[in-house]
Amino acid sequence: MKLLIVDDSSVVRRAIERDLESGEITEVDQAATGEEAVRLYAAKQHDVVTLDITMPGMDGLTCLDKIIEINPEARVLIISALRDKSTAIDAVKRGASGFLCKPINPSELKEAFQLLIED
Amino acid sequence: MQDEDIEVFIAGARRYFESLGSDFSVLIEPPFLKKDNRPFLELTGMIDISGQAHGAVGFTATRAMLESILKSLNEDWIDQDAASDLAGEIANTLSGNAREEFGSEFKISVPVVLRNQEAAVRFPKENRNYVIPVMWRGEKAYLLVSVQRTR
Repeated sequence: MKLLIVDDSSVVRRAIERDLESGEITEVDQAATGEEAVRLYAAKQHDVVTLDITMPGMDGLTCLDKIIEINPEARVLIISALRDKSTAIDAVKRGASGFLCKPINPSELKEAFQLLIED
Repeated sequence: MQDEDIEVFIAGARRYFESLGSDFSVLIEPPFLKKDNRPFLELTGMIDISGQAHGAVGFTATRAMLESILKSLNEDWIDQDAASDLAGEIANTLSGNAREEFGSEFKISVPVVLRNQEAAVRFPKENRNYVIPVMWRGEKAYLLVSVQRTR
């Protein structure tokens, strides 16, 4: 299983990778910007993408649109500090499979990831 | 900003430190109004606020505290760059979480990380500048909130 982790914070990217470390994941890519994420996703079509929203350059919601354009079935879990309902609803309407708020709770993250891959 | 608006930032700070595990408790001391350029510690993550409010939110901490947080996250990359990255990420998390109260028109920028007193010039002088002291593992940090609602 291929995982793409998108966040402008390398500390967050590394924490997500550690939290999701399991035998199911065979390949992990990381991107610090939306632009880099779209390039990586277009090339590899990862099974699951975790995606931050507030990033320099292309924001996460625009990145989500581009990923869904490439693959309408893409499984994208938004992980964002933006704790308002309208952003979460907007993300899901645009094709996100789930939405988690920062700070990241590792057990919630694992549970959300498990739900995504079982879907 | 009204005094009661500060509660959402206090709740966010408590939530952040509680997410680091139950081994160490967090103590949020009573907020006070900032009247001069202090307190700015070694590293300050700053977020500019725009939209339905304007101003800035900052998280300022010693490098020692940031390194303790990195250890709590089981991070083995612990250096100045990691501490700076974390200061920006905490500021992002605490300001983004405030949208729970202020809504999606509370626009937050990406973080900028500044050292020592460099952050002072980024704080709007005309706003009420709140300081929320945070004690965790024997180290003190401050959440700095300078936000004015525009409507």
